[in-house]
This record gives sequence, C-alpha cells and structure tokens, in this order.
Amino acid sequence: MRQSPTDGGRLDVLGRMPRLRRVVLSRAFQPVLMLLLLAPFALAVVAGLLGTSAGNRNFGIVFVWIVWWAVLMVLLVPGLGRVWCTVCPIPAPGEWIQRRGIIGGVAKLRTLGLRWPRRLRNMWVQNAGFLMLALFSTIILTRPSVSAAVIVGLTGTAVGMSLLFEKRTFCKYVCPIGGFIGLYSMVAPIELRVRDAQVCVDHRSKDCITGNENGYGCPWMIYPGKLDRNLDCGFCTECLKTCTMDNVVINLRRPGTDLGKPVSAKRIDEAFKALIMLACSIIYPAVLFGPWATVKEWAGIESFGGWLIYAAAFLTATLVFMPGLFWLAVSRGQKRSCSGLTIRQAFNEYAHALIPLGLASWIAFSVGFALTNGSYALAAISDPLGWGWNLFGTREAGWTPYLSGTAPAIQAAILLGGLIFSVRTSLRIGFRHDPSGTTTMQATAPVAAFLLACTLILLRLYLG
Amino acid sequence: MTQTRGNRAALVSIVLILVGIPTSILGYQYWLRPALAEHRVIDIATRVPENGGFSPDLVRAEVGETITLRFAVDDVAHGIAIGPGLDIDLGQIDPGHVGEITLTLDTPGIYTYYCNTWCSPSHWRMRGILEVVDPNASGSADAPSDPIIEALIAASVDIDAEPQLSEGILPDRSHGEQSFETVEVPPNLLDPTWRLSHTPAEGLVALRAKNPGSGDDVLTDVTAYLWSEPTPTIEIKELFAKNCAACHGERGAGDGPAATSTIETPVAFADVAWFRRGDIWYAKIRRGGMGTDMPNFGTLFTVEEARLLVDYLWYLSFK
Repeated sequence: MRQSPTDGGRLDVLGRMPRLRRVVLSRAFQPVLMLLLLAPFALAVVAGLLGTSAGNRNFGIVFVWIVWWAVLMVLLVPGLGRVWCTVCPIPAPGEWIQRRGIIGGVAKLRTLGLRWPRRLRNMWVQNAGFLMLALFSTIILTRPSVSAAVIVGLTGTAVGMSLLFEKRTFCKYVCPIGGFIGLYSMVAPIELRVRDAQVCVDHRSKDCITGNENGYGCPWMIYPGKLDRNLDCGFCTECLKTCTMDNVVINLRRPGTDLGKPVSAKRIDEAFKALIMLACSIIYPAVLFGPWATVKEWAGIESFGGWLIYAAAFLTATLVFMPGLFWLAVSRGQKRSCSGLTIRQAFNEYAHALIPLGLASWIAFSVGFALTNGSYALAAISDPLGWGWNLFGTREAGWTPYLSGTAPAIQAAILLGGLIFSVRTSLRIGFRHDPSGTTTMQATAPVAAFLLACTLILLRLYLG
Repeated sequence: MTQTRGNRAALVSIVLILVGIPTSILGYQYWLRPALAEHRVIDIATRVPENGGFSPDLVRAEVGETITLRFAVDDVAHGIAIGPGLDIDLGQIDPGHVGEITLTLDTPGIYTYYCNTWCSPSHWRMRGILEVVDPNASGSADAPSDPIIEALIAASVDIDAEPQLSEGILPDRSHGEQSFETVEVPPNLLDPTWRLSHTPAEGLVALRAKNPGSGDDVLTDVTAYLWSEPTPTIEIKELFAKNCAACHGERGAGDGPAATSTIETPVAFADVAWFRRGDIWYAKIRRGGMGTDMPNFGTLFTVEEARLLVDYLWYLSFK
C-alpha cells in the first residue's frame, strides 16, 4: 500500500485505517449494510400499512421522518456526504435482481440496459420528484400508510428501472432524495477521488468502468479519473475494489472543497436544485411551525381548493420567486463585475453559494424537529404498530421536547455558520473570476444580500 | 465458493426480513401474545363511527370469566366507559394509545362499552355490546324491565310530545329554600316519586290550595326548590358533563359545541322545565328522543344514575 497523501490538506482515511480498508474492500461491505438497513425500513413499511394511523405512535413515521431524517440531515450528509447512498436499501432489490446475486453476482447484468434519455441526464427529474414529495409532505410525514406507500413506490420504481435501464440510473437521475444528498455532499469533509488522474489515463483496462473479479464497474456510470466533486459519486466503493492500481482513495478534506468550482452553463438544473432546496427549507418551518393555521390546513389537504392555492404558491415560490430574486441579485452583481461571465453562467456558478446556507437551514430545521419530536421514538420502539405492545418497557414514555429553551439559539448559530460559509463561497467564486479582486465585492455583494435576507427570514421563523 | 455462501446467507437474510418481519408481527399479535396471556384478551379497534366505530362491536363472555378488553384508539381522542352500573371509565385515550381493562363479570346481562368524549358528529353511535351469559342458564339474557317507562306507556303518555314552554316563569331556587319554612307543603310534594310524575306547575297548584294567603312568587320559588332537590353530587355532574354537555351545554342551555350539528336544536332545560314531568325526562334519557339525535342511555346508565340525572336537570333549570 502506498503512503497516504496529504495533498491539499487531504488525508487518505483508509490508508490510515487498514482494518477499515479491508472491510470496505470486501464485496460484502455494501450489501451487508444495505441488509442491515433493509430490516428497519421493512418494519417501517409493515407498521405503516398495518399499524395505527396515529403518526406519532407509528414506527413507520417516527423511524423514517424523525430518526432517519435527523440522522441523515444532521450527521450523515454534512459529516459523511453521500454515505447514505452507500447503505440505502431502496435501490438494493433492483440492483440484486440486476446482478443475480447479492454479494458479488454475475458480471453480466439482468437488464434491458437502456440508456437514460440524453435530455434527462441532469437533475430535473430529481427536482420534480422532490417538489412532488414536498407538496404532499404534510401528509407523507404524518400518515403512516402514505409514508409506507412512498417507500414502496420508490423501491418499486427503482426495481422497475433496474430492469429497464443500465446500472443505477434510478439513483443517478430519478431518486428525489439522492438529488439533494448529492448536492449537499459537496459541503462534506469527505470525498472519494483518485490519487493521480494520470494513472487512470495511462491504465488501459479501466477496471473501474468494466469491473473485475473484485467488484462491479461503476454503477453510477462515472469515470473516477475525472471525478472532481461529490455530486456525481454514489460512494458505492466499487471503484475502490476494482482499481488494480490502488489509485482510488477516500479522503478527509476541508469542508466545501467542491463548492465554487467551474460549472457548465448548461447545468442550470443544479442551480435550481440549490434554489428549490433553500426555498423549501424556508417554507417548511413557516408552514409547520408558523402561526398561519390556514396555510397549514391547505398544506395538509384538508380541502382540495386550499391545497391548490398552497401548491400554486409553493411552486411559484420555489420555481419562480426564489430563482427570480437570485437571478436579479446575480445580474446586478455582474453588471458591476469585470468577470466576463454571462448572467446564466454566473447564475449557475453563484448558486453554489446557496448550498452551505441551504444545508445549514435544513440542519436547523431537522435539529428543531428532532429535539421536539425525538421522544416519540421511545414509545415507537416498544410499540412499533401502536397495538399496545410494550417490548422494552417504554410504551408509556410521554412526549418530551428536549432543549426547548436552547434549541432556537442552536438553530440560529447553525444558520449564521451557514451564512458565513455561503458568503465565503460566493467570494471564492468572485475571486476565481476576478483574481485581481477589483470588482469582486461589487459582484458578490448582491448575492450576499440575498443570502442575508434568506437568513434573516429563517432567524425570524426560528427565534420568533 | 465464499461468494456463493455469502449470497446464500444474504438471501436467507432477505427472506427473514421480508417474510419474517410481517410474520413475526402478526404471529406475536394474534397468536403468541394471546397464548401468553393469563386470560382471554380482546383487541378492539376504536375509531369514530364514520370509520367503523368499535371493531368488534360485540364481545361475548361467560359469567365469572376474566377477560381483558384492549381499546386501541386510532384516529382522535376517545373516552371509553363501560356500563351500566360497572363504574368503569378508562378516561381519555389519545390516538395511538391503548386503553386496557381486565374484568370479571359475575352478573349475566347486556353491558355497553361506549365513547364518552365527543369525537365526531356521530359520536353517540359509538357503542359496542358486552354480552355476559351464564352457560348454565337457558336462553339469552333479557333486557330488564323499566317500571317508570312501562307506567308511562300504560298511561298513554306521549313521551315525544312537544313540551309546553315555561315562558316568563323564572323561579328562584335559593329564594324558595329560604321561604320553604314559611309555607305549608302538602305531603305528596315531599314525595320524590310523586314529584317524578308531576310537573312543577301541578305542584304550584297544590301549594296554592294550601297557602291561599301566600304570593305566587314565593310559592313558585318554593316549588322550584322542591323539584331541584337534592343537591347534585360531583359524580352526577361529571356524568352530565361527559355524556350530555356536548349537545345540551355545560349549564343545560342547549348550547353545547355539538348543538349545531344535531337534527333538532337540543333542548334548553329551563325553557321547558315548568311544564315537564320528571318521568318523561327519565324516559328520554333511558330510551332516547324519537326523531331527534338524542341517543338512548338506557344501556349505559343505571336506573339510579338516570334518576339522579333527572334531579340534576331540575337543578340546572332553576337558578
């Protein structure tokens, strides 16, 4: 094994931890983790379909939308990036059917192997899927049967797509959860990269693409030699297994290293993903915790007419209002800048500045949600279906909001941290296009003002 | 070879997860748990009547058999009670919670488990039957006779007739209590049974005959005092609050939160009290009001509870 590089402040994690390396290089690594996660998700589905319709007493709701969501948004995404995609059980059945095996199946996949349409090789389907989930979120988050149907529906879609399309097409282009995990994983202090891109260029067999006896060719249809950001990598670790040149590593790095890198003018889908996520992170606390009971009723589909108003307002806010304001901010900055960027190019690039604040906003939301509702987990463990069981003696554990006095301060600190991170990212983008720095402040000031405005709205929502 | 073994183990794991989890859940709930219980456990799904009410809504047990009834509440908060005469009230049970009672009934009969927390517009229909039978006795348990209602029927009294309104008559019970010693009260007015079958208006006529020198205002107040005796207990107030107040209002003014959803506006007791017989109120409580949303409480309350409720209605009628 070669020495761990510390290039650019990076630290080769597996190089420092040979035991972990052996585990990760095992072909059983990912399937075993998926199987471990399959059990609670199967229980969540069964509880959702058979158990009580009281969401706060049903394992299906409590486990998925309180425990899993909090762990995902507070710990996994900011700390370990795409690692959820490593263990996610939703695409597992489809992948195992494709491979005709679970731990190292046959090399030839059982699938029609269709290629995803070129026009859809972006994040638009994921954006649409997330907006659909978000539009119905108040019932998905509270009605166990609906929540179970969503999990079954996603799994069924993944299986169907595995039979029709090549490899992990579902995960890469369709999964509404994978979309935002990928986006925010660019903030994470961990990455999977090659040590030396030239080694990949010179390596003729390209086992990371074709696969070999140690693993599959990249299920995410990526050439690791050109991988330069977490957005595209599903962290499945197959390339670590197949690389015969020991050229793939998992690095610890400075958080947010991927942000501010050049983005194609065509990738407006990414910019919209960042805007949609930020907009939703503002709308959610406003609807769920805000004082507007009527809006909450509309979002809860208590009347179809009310929901239509909510849906129209929601889609306008996420797809028109927020992008429109951001476009104005970016274009105002570019008028004063000497970067030479087109507005569209600048829009896509500066959208990266929204990512840290968006992630911070989701963390703040999830922290509050978990602290307020986490105590439901105690009862749900003992009585997962609300049938009066008391498996671990905690059935009668009452609802206890934790740290209710300090939670707003924690949320505010997270938001301010996100704002600082975002402003720094916008400055980094500005300096990249204007190394002399003569017009950087003018270019980034409107973007910073946009970020500040979003933060102030969020602080108002959380601090009252 | 290792991969094949791994695949087999993984396949077994998947089967265990996908088949084992639902099988374990259903097996535990419907086989193991009842098998481990010391006595019969009956799980009763508890939802608003519009969504099925109690399921099952009929439970049979034998005299002396110990059973556990487990009410799993699913939608909104319900209050579960069992009557008549068992004094079982599990209190309010929130959605997702289970209310449980273990009981041994020594008297055969028809009992009712019911919701006593207003849960939906059809709340009053939320009832189930607990039939306790004596295996050594032949035939099923007959509904007990009710002499008061039978007497009304025998006398051809129309229980559902429109009541005469007591417009303009506002007796003062407290003042009547103070004046009670100053007037001569006929013995029949002191008899609760007589008062039950006569209206306060009839009582006033009897008082006038004995006290020609007393003013009508004093006699009216004394009549109100006599009819609203005895002072209601906390238990009977709670019984009214849980079962009647949703429609009739906390003070019996016909203005409960559910009053707007009933077929006919619930009666305000003070409006009809002066010309109302207590046994008709009793019959309405026990049998229900025909053509209205007034449910029957004869299967929920004992005769004594219904009598005490009638007393409380007089109490509410006169200030």
